[in-house]
Amino acid sequence: MAARELTFEIFRFNPQDPESTPHLQTFKLTEEPYMTLFRALNRIREEQDTSLQFDFSCRSAVCGSCGMMVNGRPTLACKTLTSDLEDKVRLHPLPAFKLIGDLSVDTGTWFRSMAERVEAWVHERAPFDPGALEDRMDDDLAQAIYESDRCIECGCCVASCGVANVKPAFVAPAGMNRIARFMMDPRDARNDDEWFEVVSSDDGVFGCIGLMACADVCPKELPLLEVYAYLRRRALGSAFLARKKG
Amino acid sequence: MEAAGAGHEVTIISLVPPRRSHSCAAQGGMQAALGNCVKAAGDSPDLHFLDTVRGSDWGADQEVVRMFADSAPIAVRELAHFGVPWTRLRPGPNQYHIKGERVVIDEPEENAGLIMHRDFGGTAKWRACYAAAGTGHAALYAVDGEVVRLGVQVKDRTEALALIHDGRRCWGAVTRCLRTGSLGVILAKCTVIATGGYGRIYGQYTTNATINEGTGASLALDTGRVPLGNMEAVQFHPTGLWPSGILVTEGCRGDGGYLLNNAMERFMVELEPAKQELASRDVVSRHMMQQILDGKGVDHPAGPHLWLDLRHLGEEHLTTKLREVYEICRDFLGIKPWEDLIPVRPSQHYSMGGVRVNKDGEAYSLAGLYAAGEAACWDMHGFNRLGGNSLAETIVAGRIVGRTVASHAGGVEIDIPISLANEFLASVQQRIDGWMARSGEGPSVYKIRDAIGEVMINKVGIFRTGAELEEAVVELRRLHDQVDAAVLTCRAPGPNPELSFALRLKGMAKLALITAMGALARKESRGAHCRTDFPERDDANWLSRTLVRWGRDDEAPSFEYEPVGFLDLPPGDRGYGQAKRVEMTGTLEEYNAGVVEGQRGHGMLDPVEPVGTHLRPGAWRDAEERAGLGKIGGGH
Amino acid sequence: MDKAVDVLRSGAVREAGPGPGPRLTRAEARRQLAYELVSGLSGLMLALFMWGHMFFVGSILLGDRGFNWLAEGLEVTYIAQPTVFIILFLFVLHAALASRKIPAQLKERRRFFALGKELRAASGQWRSTGEELPLKPHVESWLWIWQVRTGMVMLVLGSFHLVLMGMDILTPLFGDRMGIEASTSIARTTAGLVWVYGVLLVCVEFHAGIGLYRLAVKWGVGSRLTRDMLTRIEKFLFWFFIGLGAVVLLVLASVIPPPLAFLLGG
Ligand SMILES: Cc1cc2nc3c(=O)[nH]c(=O)nc-3n(C[C@H](O)[C@H](O)[C@H](O)COP(=O)(O)OP(=O)(O)OC[C@H]3O[C@@H](n4cnc5c(N)ncnc54)[C@H](O)[C@@H]3O)c2cc1C
Ligand code: HEM
Ligand code: HEM
Ligand code: SF4
Ligand code: F3S
Ligand code: FES
Repeated sequence: MAARELTFEIFRFNPQDPESTPHLQTFKLTEEPYMTLFRALNRIREEQDTSLQFDFSCRSAVCGSCGMMVNGRPTLACKTLTSDLEDKVRLHPLPAFKLIGDLSVDTGTWFRSMAERVEAWVHERAPFDPGALEDRMDDDLAQAIYESDRCIECGCCVASCGVANVKPAFVAPAGMNRIARFMMDPRDARNDDEWFEVVSSDDGVFGCIGLMACADVCPKELPLLEVYAYLRRRALGSAFLARKKG
Repeated sequence: MEAAGAGHEVTIISLVPPRRSHSCAAQGGMQAALGNCVKAAGDSPDLHFLDTVRGSDWGADQEVVRMFADSAPIAVRELAHFGVPWTRLRPGPNQYHIKGERVVIDEPEENAGLIMHRDFGGTAKWRACYAAAGTGHAALYAVDGEVVRLGVQVKDRTEALALIHDGRRCWGAVTRCLRTGSLGVILAKCTVIATGGYGRIYGQYTTNATINEGTGASLALDTGRVPLGNMEAVQFHPTGLWPSGILVTEGCRGDGGYLLNNAMERFMVELEPAKQELASRDVVSRHMMQQILDGKGVDHPAGPHLWLDLRHLGEEHLTTKLREVYEICRDFLGIKPWEDLIPVRPSQHYSMGGVRVNKDGEAYSLAGLYAAGEAACWDMHGFNRLGGNSLAETIVAGRIVGRTVASHAGGVEIDIPISLANEFLASVQQRIDGWMARSGEGPSVYKIRDAIGEVMINKVGIFRTGAELEEAVVELRRLHDQVDAAVLTCRAPGPNPELSFALRLKGMAKLALITAMGALARKESRGAHCRTDFPERDDANWLSRTLVRWGRDDEAPSFEYEPVGFLDLPPGDRGYGQAKRVEMTGTLEEYNAGVVEGQRGHGMLDPVEPVGTHLRPGAWRDAEERAGLGKIGGGH
Repeated sequence: MDKAVDVLRSGAVREAGPGPGPRLTRAEARRQLAYELVSGLSGLMLALFMWGHMFFVGSILLGDRGFNWLAEGLEVTYIAQPTVFIILFLFVLHAALASRKIPAQLKERRRFFALGKELRAASGQWRSTGEELPLKPHVESWLWIWQVRTGMVMLVLGSFHLVLMGMDILTPLFGDRMGIEASTSIARTTAGLVWVYGVLLVCVEFHAGIGLYRLAVKWGVGSRLTRDMLTRIEKFLFWFFIGLGAVVLLVLASVIPPPLAFLLGG
C-alpha cells in the first residue's frame, strides 16, 4: 500500500502580530504508519513552518492540552490517527475559548474561572486530622465519583456545545460535570440548598437545551447526559424540599 | 499550599495549566503503607523504608526515605480528605490476578471501605493506593482544587527562564509569558522548583510528556552555585510504544507477551533461556537495544522498532484483563492487539537526578531556593526509583518543603536592589535577542534536539560502557557547542514556539552532557546506572552521590562526590538485578561520622532540624519477620 | 491587541468568551427552574395532545359518520370547547418559554448554525477503518435548529388552525351548525388547506418527536445505551404518525375515500 499524501488545511492567525489575518494555510505531508496528529503537526512545524502554534503535553490523551477541531469535530489531536481521516485534514482551534494563536486556545483561564465559580474543591466538614484513619467510603460510590473526576478539562465538550459558544455565563458541560462530582461526594459539606443558585438556572443545568454534542465528542466518554439528568433531578428535589420546609 | 495556608502570598508559574502537568499520566498508584487489604496485612513504614532503600541500591539518603515512608500514609489520607476517590476495599471474596493466576481472597468485613492497595512496583506487600486507572490525575486535581480554594495565583503558560540571585540567596525568577512572549520578573522570598523530570533529553525515546525538558534543573545549574545530584541515574522502561513513546504496561509480558525482531524471532528465548521475556526491566531493555543496534529492528520513518506480540492471548483476555493496553493500541495505533503486532522500543522513564537539596528541600549553596518532586534530588530514590514512589514523593515533599518555605519566608524581607533583577532580565533579553539576530546558514534547533536524543539513547542508555560514553561525551560536547550556531526561521512576534524551544535547548544539551559525563565517571553499576565494563556495585569507592556544578563562565562542568547520607540499613543485596558487589571498606560508624561535615563541605545548608533527627535507627530490624516475610526476602 | 476571531467562520470577528460569569440570585434561579419545568411540561402535554388529536382526526378514516359522531360527542360533553382554550394557552405558553432558549442575536444564531452544521458534516470526513467508528456521528445539534424552525412555522400555521377550530367549535360560522363537521373539514381541506396541513403535519411530528426524545434524555430516561433505543422509538413514532397523518390528509383532501368506512357499514 503506497503511503498517502495528506493535505492539511490549518487555521492560521497570530493575534500578537498586527499584520496577521485569519486564513487557512495548506501543508502536505506523507502519511506514516501509526501516525497521529501529534506527530503530523510536529513534523509540519519542524520541517515546514516553524511559526505554527499548537499545544501538546502528554501526547497520550490524559492531560487535555491538545483539543482542536479536526474535520469539524472537537477532539484530542494526540489520539487522532491520520488513518481515520480522509486525505484532506482540516484543523481549526476550539471555538468558545480565547484564541492564543493558530490552533492554540486558552482553556486554562476558562477552567480556572469555572473552578472558582463552582468552588470546585471539597468543602471540608472538619480540618484534616493526620493521626486518624481515613474515613470509610463505599467502593461503588468511590467509583461513581471517579467516573466524573476523570474529566481531563480538554474543553472539547465546551467547544461543541452551541449554548456554551454563545453564552459565556453558562457553566457548560465540563462545569456541570464538576458540580455533579462534588454534589455526589459525601465529604463535601455543601447541601442541595447551597448548590441551588449554581445548578438550577439558565447559567446552570437549565441552560442546557439537550444538544448532546458534548457527550458525543467527549474523548473520555464521560456519561455527561446522565450527569445532567442527575443535576436536574437534584435541583427539582431541592426546590420541593425547600418549599416544604417553608 | 502549606505556605499559602500560613498566610503568605504565593504565585505558581507553570508552562501549562497546572492540571496538565505530567503527574496526570501516572496511573499505577501511590505507595503508602496503610496495610489495609489481606495482601498488605502487616505492612508498615518500616517495610516501605526497606523496599525503598534496597530499590535505591543504597544510593538514597536513608533519613529522607524514613521521613518519606513515615509520612506517606498521612499524605494519602490527606488526599482522601481533599477528595481523591481512592479505590476502596470491598469486603468478601475478591478476585485478583497474581502472577497470571486467578486467586480469590476473602477480604474481612472490618476493613470495608478503607483505602485499597494493589501490587505495584515490586514491593514486599501490596502497598500502592490507587484511584481506578487515574491515580495521578485524581491526586493532581484534588491538590489543584485546594490551590484554587486558597486563592493562590497561578500564572499558567509562563516559563521561568532564569533565577534571580545575589550569589547567596535566590530572589525569584525572570519569566516569559507563552501567550504573548513578553518578559516579566517575579520577586520572591522563597522560590520552589517543581518542574518534573528531564526525560526529553532522550528526544522521542521517553515516556515523559513533551514539557519534561529539565528546565528546572537547567535553571538551578545556570546559577553556577547550585549542584545537581546523580544526574546519571536514569530509569528506563522496555516497552514504550513506537513512535509515540507512550508507556505499555509490564503486565503484557507478565501475561505471556512475546518480543519479536524483524525476522519474527523470539530473541529473548535464545538470549535468556531461563526467564525469557520475564527477565528484569533492564535486562529486557538491553537485549532489545542490542537487537536494534544489530539491525534487527523493524523499519519505520521515525526509526527502527521491535514487535510486541500479544496475538496469542486472544481478544477476550486483551479486552478485559489488559484493557488499558487494548485501548492504547486502538487509540494510538489503530490496531487490534489480537490480530496485529505492537511496535515498541525501550524508552527513558524516570529521572532520579535533579536539583540537590537538603532534607528540608532547600538547595545546596543558595538559600531561598527549594526543589521538590521529580525535579529534585532530595534523594529518596538513589539510583533506582520504585514504581509508585514518585507520586507519593511529590505529595510528601510538597508537605515538608511547603512547611519549611512557610517558616523561612516569615523571617525574610526582600531587600535587593532593583538593578539586580534588571540585570537578570537584561541577560535573558540578550539571549532572546541573540537568537533573533542570528541568521544565515545553521542547523535547526530541532535537528540538534534529535541528535542529542539519538546519542543519549544509543550511548547513554540502559547499558553503558566506557568507550561508548566517551564517544557520547565528545558528540554531546559538539552538539552543545552547536546550539550557539543554530538558526531560527520563525521571526513572528508573540510566543514564537521555535524560540520558546530554542531557549531551553542549551539547558537540555548541558543536562545531556552532564548525564553522560557522570555516567562515564561512575565506574560501577548501581541501580539503574549499569556499566557493563564495571558490573559490580562498588561500596568501597562509590557509595556516594554525584554532584555537579557548571559555573557561568566555565567551559565544562565540575564533578564532586558526597556521602549518600547516614547509613542505617547496612549496604546489602538488592534482592534482584545484578548481585555482585564490592563491600565497603570502613565501618558504618566511620561512614556516618563523616556524613554531615562531608555534605556541608559540598554546600549543604543546615536544615531546620539537625541531620539525622528523623532517623529511627534500627527500626527496620525484624520488620520483615514481624510481617511474616522471613529475613532478607523482600523485593523481587 | 487581542483581535478575536470566529474560528467557525474564519474571518468574522466575535467577542472571545470570558468563561463562566457570576452567580444568580436565589429568586432568579427559582424562576428559571419554573420556566424550564413549564416549557418542558407544556411541550409534553402538547405532544400527548397531538397524539390524541391524530386519533381524533383519524376518525375520518371511518368515514363522515365516525368523524361527526366523535366530534359531536366531544362537543356535547363540553370537552372540546375548553380544550381549545387550554391548548391555545399551552401553545402560546410553550412557544413563549421555549423561545427563551433561542439565541437572541443574529450573530449568535449564525454561530449556532455554523457549529451544528460542522458537527453534522464531520462524520463524512472521517474514515472508519475497522468495525468501530472513529467517532459517533452527531446530529442532535443540527436537529435542534430544525426544531426551532419547525416551531416557528407551527407558530404561524398552528395559531391560524387553532383560531379556525375555535371559531368552528364555538360559532356557527362554518358549516351547518356550531361545531366540527366532516363535510366542512373535507371541504376546506380539499379547497387548499391540504398544503397548510401537510406542512403542519411534518412540522408537528418532527418537532414533537425530537422534543420528546430530548425531554427523555434531559431528565434521565436515557443512558448511553437507551439513547440509541430512544432514537429508534422516536423514529418509529415519527414515521408512524407521518404515515397515519398522510392517509388522513388524503381522505380530507378527497383524494382517496375513507378506507375504513366499511367498518361502520358506510
Ligand atoms: C507514563 C508514566 C507513568 C507513571 N506512573 C507512575 C505511577 O504509577 N506512580 C508513581 O508514583 N509515579 C509514576 N510516574 C512518575 C510520576 O508521574 C512523576 O515522577 C511525577 O508526576 C512528577 O511530578 P512533579 O510534580 O515533580 O512534576 P510534573 O508533574 O511533571 O510537573 C512539572 C510542572 O512544572 C512546570 N514547569 C516545568 N518547567 C517550567 C519552567 N521552566 N517554568 C515554569 N514552570 C515549569 C510544568 O508546567 C509542570 O506544571 C509515571 C511517569 C510516567 C511518565
Ligand atoms: C383544540 C385544538 C384543536 C382542534 C379542535 C383541532 C381540530 C382539527 C380538525 C377538526 C382537523 C381536521 C381538518 C379541519 O377541520 O380543518 C384538524 C387537522 C389538523 N390539525 Fe388540528 N386541531 C387542534 C389543534 C391542533 C394543533 C395545536 C396542531 C398543531 C400545531 C394541529 C395540527 C393539525 C394538523 C397537522 C391537521 C391535519 C390533519 C392530518 O393530516 O393529520 N391541530 N385539526
Ligand atoms: C408554537 C410554536 C412552537 C415553538 C416556537 C416551539 C419551540 C420550541 C423550542 C425552541 C423548543 C426547545 C426548548 C428547549 O430545548 O428547552 C421546544 C421544545 C419542545 N416542544 Fe415546542 N415549540 C412550538 C410548538 C410545539 C408543539 C405544538 C408541540 C407539541 C406537539 C411542541 C412540543 C415540544 C416538546 C415536547 C419539546 C421538548 C421540551 C424540552 O426539551 O424541554 N412544541 N419547542
Ligand atoms: S467532559 Fe469530556 S470533553 Fe469535556 S472537558 Fe471533560 S474530558 Fe473534555
Ligand atoms: S452540548 Fe450543550 S446543550 Fe446540553 S447536552 Fe451538551 S450541554
Ligand atoms: S497531549 Fe495530552 S491530551 Fe493530547
